[in-house]
Amino acid sequence: MIRTLIVDDERHAREELEVLLLELGDIEIVGTCANAMEAVKAINHERPELIFLDIKMPVIDGFTLLGMIEEEIMPYVVFVTAFDEYALKAFDEKTLDYLLKPVDPQRLAQTMKKVHGALDNNEKPALPQAQINRIPCTSVNHIKLVDPQDVEYVHSDISGVHVFTAEGNYFSELTLKVLEGRAGLLRCHKQYLINPAKVDEIIPLENGMAEIKTIAGARLPVSRRCLQQVKAAFGLK
Amino acid sequence: MNEFLNLLQQMSIFLIIAYLFSKSPAFKALAGEVLHFKHRVLLYCIFTGFAIFGIYIGLPAYDAFADSSPIGIVLAGLVGGPLLGLWVGATAGCYSLYLSGWSELGVISLVLAVLQGGMGGIVCNYYQQRGKSEQLFNPLVAMSVTCAGVGLHLALVLLLAGEDIVAIAVPSPLVLPTLLANSLGAGLFMLMMRDQKRMIDRVGVFFSARALRIAERSLGIFGRGFNVETAKELARIIYDETGVGAVGISDRERVLAFVGQGADHHLEGLAIASPQTRQAIDENRVIYADGVREKFQCALSDNCPLASALIVPLRVDNEVVGTIKLYEPQDRLFMNLNRTLGEGIAQLLSEQLLRYRYENQKTLLTKAELKLIQAQVNPHFLFNALNTIIAVVRSDSDQARNLLLHLSNYFRKNLKRSSDLATLEEELDHVNSYLVIQRARFGDKLVVDLDIDPDLLQAKVPTFTLQPIVENAVKHGISNMIGGGTVKISAHRNGKKMVVTIEDNAGFYCEKLSSDGLGMNIVDKRIKSYYGQPYGTEIECVPDTMTRVTLSFPLEKVVQP
Repeated sequence: MIRTLIVDDERHAREELEVLLLELGDIEIVGTCANAMEAVKAINHERPELIFLDIKMPVIDGFTLLGMIEEEIMPYVVFVTAFDEYALKAFDEKTLDYLLKPVDPQRLAQTMKKVHGALDNNEKPALPQAQINRIPCTSVNHIKLVDPQDVEYVHSDISGVHVFTAEGNYFSELTLKVLEGRAGLLRCHKQYLINPAKVDEIIPLENGMAEIKTIAGARLPVSRRCLQQVKAAFGLK
Repeated sequence: MNEFLNLLQQMSIFLIIAYLFSKSPAFKALAGEVLHFKHRVLLYCIFTGFAIFGIYIGLPAYDAFADSSPIGIVLAGLVGGPLLGLWVGATAGCYSLYLSGWSELGVISLVLAVLQGGMGGIVCNYYQQRGKSEQLFNPLVAMSVTCAGVGLHLALVLLLAGEDIVAIAVPSPLVLPTLLANSLGAGLFMLMMRDQKRMIDRVGVFFSARALRIAERSLGIFGRGFNVETAKELARIIYDETGVGAVGISDRERVLAFVGQGADHHLEGLAIASPQTRQAIDENRVIYADGVREKFQCALSDNCPLASALIVPLRVDNEVVGTIKLYEPQDRLFMNLNRTLGEGIAQLLSEQLLRYRYENQKTLLTKAELKLIQAQVNPHFLFNALNTIIAVVRSDSDQARNLLLHLSNYFRKNLKRSSDLATLEEELDHVNSYLVIQRARFGDKLVVDLDIDPDLLQAKVPTFTLQPIVENAVKHGISNMIGGGTVKISAHRNGKKMVVTIEDNAGFYCEKLSSDGLGMNIVDKRIKSYYGQPYGTEIECVPDTMTRVTLSFPLEKVVQP
């Protein structure tokens, strides 16, 4: 059973693909999502092995979505699109396969063969290394795209990841790991990322730890493990 | 009696000189309004010669005082201005001084001659400043000025030299004939010059009229393109109006039209054979074979009657697109005038071709843009629609059938928009098919709100004015909203306008709207080209809130009472 996620902003498209996949068998549909935010959340929670991904979706398209997924949990990706072959060409090596809408069941069967082949050979899914230039966040029924440069710091706790900016704080589905690597933020603690541009002061503490004061006045802990790295980022020894 | 004969004799000599002068190229200098330095020098020589000659043909018995030199001097001032008058007077006066053996009498002569020239010049200035230069050629003016000049002459002699000299120099019986001879001579001279000048003017007018007529008749012909048909029409006009032996028009490769002598072998459609034409095209210059020094060589037939030719390239943006050729047969000279005319015509036609090309490109562009909008019936939409329908078939075959009918209606309307105007109802039907399919795709995410004044359903609007804007609202607006949105379409009267608005609550494509990749410009352009500048599209966009496109039409024109 291949754990599979379907991402498409059209209900009929999701349903149809689901039906076709179930007809082929050996598939477990772990979820269907209507947009990228839902998809990031589902991937982080369900850890699917395979996603069928529509390219044209509201706010964040399929390509951008892939850049928001952690390397370790990256699934195999099959793009499903109506008419974006030209765009896919540029993405070719990074995806396992692509399908054209309307989806032909026979073509889908071929795709599944490829997936099985890759799984059997234990191939690693390709990882698109894209910079994130907008961090998708949610705040009360509203989607907010935050420019990483506007971020002051990011904090994760049991309830999720919180992005703090001068304008306010938002909830994001993206993990700290993704944001650290691709949004230009610096890890200062297991649960904190800091935007180096917003650091006002680094105050050393006794036990090999430190504290960062941001321009806005927030105080963040710097863990012993991260101190070296933080110092290096500012050219300090 | 003797004096009278002498007088006649003098006048005839004047008239002969005047006639010769008016026929000479030197006279052309006078025909123009403004005299160049070169012309002044020429006139100086002529009038000086004239004045000196007048000294000799004067009544021989009475020395310098009864001569005819004042005519030349006064006329010089009259036609050439004070400076010329003074110079001619001074020169002629010096000469008389020399002739008189440096006598007292000669000095007076010199002073007088200079004064006479000055008088002519003052009159000349007077008339020119009042913008009545044509009066300078009035024989009566010339007569009076000369009369005054000679009168001054006599008066001065009285003043300066005392009575005895006057008695010797100008015996009273001769005062009258001298005055008469000079005045009449000057008057007649001027009369002849005036006639000649008028003739030149008339010839000029005639040719200007001819050039204008050609321009008028040929105007707009090349506006219909540069092809065999228009070339024929033009060749015929040029042939008729210039009266040359033959006229040919070619493009870069072949003869498009040929009228006149030699048309039996200069056939339309033949490749260009004459090396001179090729040369005109390749070197982008006018080739003139005058038939004497350089002959036009017909490459097609030895019996070709044509011997001289003017070959003018037709240029568009300095690129040769063809030639116009004027020919004269062996037995006729190529008139200089036709040469000028030919080059002028080619210039005129080149301008027209440029204009044609520009207009052509403009309409082509609009057509291409319209085609583009139609082609933007994008595959994305088609395949997504099909994908949706395939899914719907499983659950609701009636709905699927309905969607397919809308899809075919949508495409049929897209493909078969040959007419330029459609009723608002037809446009809305087209839009509706599109929206029905999009609603099936997006479900609750797309809400459509229609508010149409039923009286306006029969209003005629240019095709494809609503469709692209509604598509933009869905494609770039609602379909990009996570939670979905509403498209509002309304049509109502607003004073003397019919106003159609298409509004979405996404407000997503403000930037794209101003840069226009969305075919919004062409909708605006089309409405304006149908109904004029005050109508067209108007865009309001509040980011993340709404986009509203307002189309306005003149109510009285779109709604037939």
